[in-house]
Amino acid sequence: MKILSYLGNLKEYIIFSVLIIISLILIFQNDNLQIRYIRAIAVNVIGVVQSGFSIIPNVFELEKENKYLRETNINLSKELSQLKEFRLENLRLKQMLEFKQRVSYGIVTGKIIGKTLIQTRNNITLSIGEKDSVRMGMPVITERGLVGKIVATSSNFSIAQILFNKELKVSAKDQRSRVDGIISWDGEGKLMMKNVSKSSDVIPGDVIITSEYSNHFPAGLPIGFVTSVGTVDNLFKEIEVESFVNFETLEEAFVLKFLSHEERKNLEKNFNEKSK
Amino acid sequence: MAENLKYAALLLVLVIVQKTLVWLIAVTSYEVTPDIVLVGLAYVGIKRGKIDGSIAGFLSGLLLDLFSFSFIGLMALSKSAAGFLSGFFNNENKIERYLSSYGFVLIVFFCSIVNNIFYFTIYFQGTNLVFSDVLLRYILPTAVYTSIISIIPVIFARKKIRRL
Repeated sequence: MKILSYLGNLKEYIIFSVLIIISLILIFQNDNLQIRYIRAIAVNVIGVVQSGFSIIPNVFELEKENKYLRETNINLSKELSQLKEFRLENLRLKQMLEFKQRVSYGIVTGKIIGKTLIQTRNNITLSIGEKDSVRMGMPVITERGLVGKIVATSSNFSIAQILFNKELKVSAKDQRSRVDGIISWDGEGKLMMKNVSKSSDVIPGDVIITSEYSNHFPAGLPIGFVTSVGTVDNLFKEIEVESFVNFETLEEAFVLKFLSHEERKNLEKNFNEKSK
Repeated sequence: MAENLKYAALLLVLVIVQKTLVWLIAVTSYEVTPDIVLVGLAYVGIKRGKIDGSIAGFLSGLLLDLFSFSFIGLMALSKSAAGFLSGFFNNENKIERYLSSYGFVLIVFFCSIVNNIFYFTIYFQGTNLVFSDVLLRYILPTAVYTSIISIIPVIFARKKIRRL
């Protein structure tokens, strides 16, 4: 009752307010210069008020924004990782391309699809085979140096013995002093250069390359560098060599279309038999 | 009811005269004319109070808007405010005194000022005119001119009282 009587006292003002509101509604139905100007002022005022209130954080909006940002972050991380991968691949392929242009023999590029690095007979499986002109005995290399030799082929795949295989022995020489030797794996973790006499000039840091004496590899392919020089006995040196190729991270390799010369092979074979 | 009709008829006549004849007595280079509808509205407000004053103001203003075919609602807004203001002088003991004295001229002046402030301020939005220009060129001259015109009903009212 009190409210009603209070409203009754305000009757004049309520009616007046209603009339003013109706008038304003009618005014804003017009589309003339004055109303457009008033609307622009209203928009500015609202903008100022809203910008004033915008410093108060909206918890729900923040939560939503946070979720969105986290999702975006994950997506961007994925993209970044992919881009890094592409960059590395690009770099690798570029180096391989440059190397391909440098090498005088024909080469076939293959992806390494299988790798064994924990046995005494370590091998790698390549995604290329006889269809790609890969044959047994062909050298496998990278742009850094010698990897190994093809030992088995099928139409689409091939297996290569790598330097870290006890069965693979490579005729090598010191690039600086031209001292010859044979590179083989000691079965533990190091490549050794054997048959080097104690008086030979080999020092740490010397680059070891394949020699002309090899019937399986073209001469001059880099193998690695000398890390330490010791003595086995009174006759020979014990030379440790570190391969230029990092077999743990190896992803692609080239097969060099190089086969040993049959005539040379036969001559050497016949001579050896006669000597016996 | 009959009294209401009388006031409605009075305002209707004033609206028609305002829209058809008042331009003939326009003064100054800004074509200032008296607002005779406002004089009638002040009369209704003083006689009937705030509610009737504001309703009469709204309806007469709306009629003026409709006759002018532009800016519908602007005159209704300003006349509502003026009618409501005139209703403040609705004092049973002083109605006749207000209407027959020059106090009526003063009431008309105040109501006219309020009416003109609403009307001309909105009307000149978006133009180069600043408020002081609008005040000196339109609000005050119109209020003064309307107040001068409001002397006429005061003279008639006084004569009527003398006759009685």
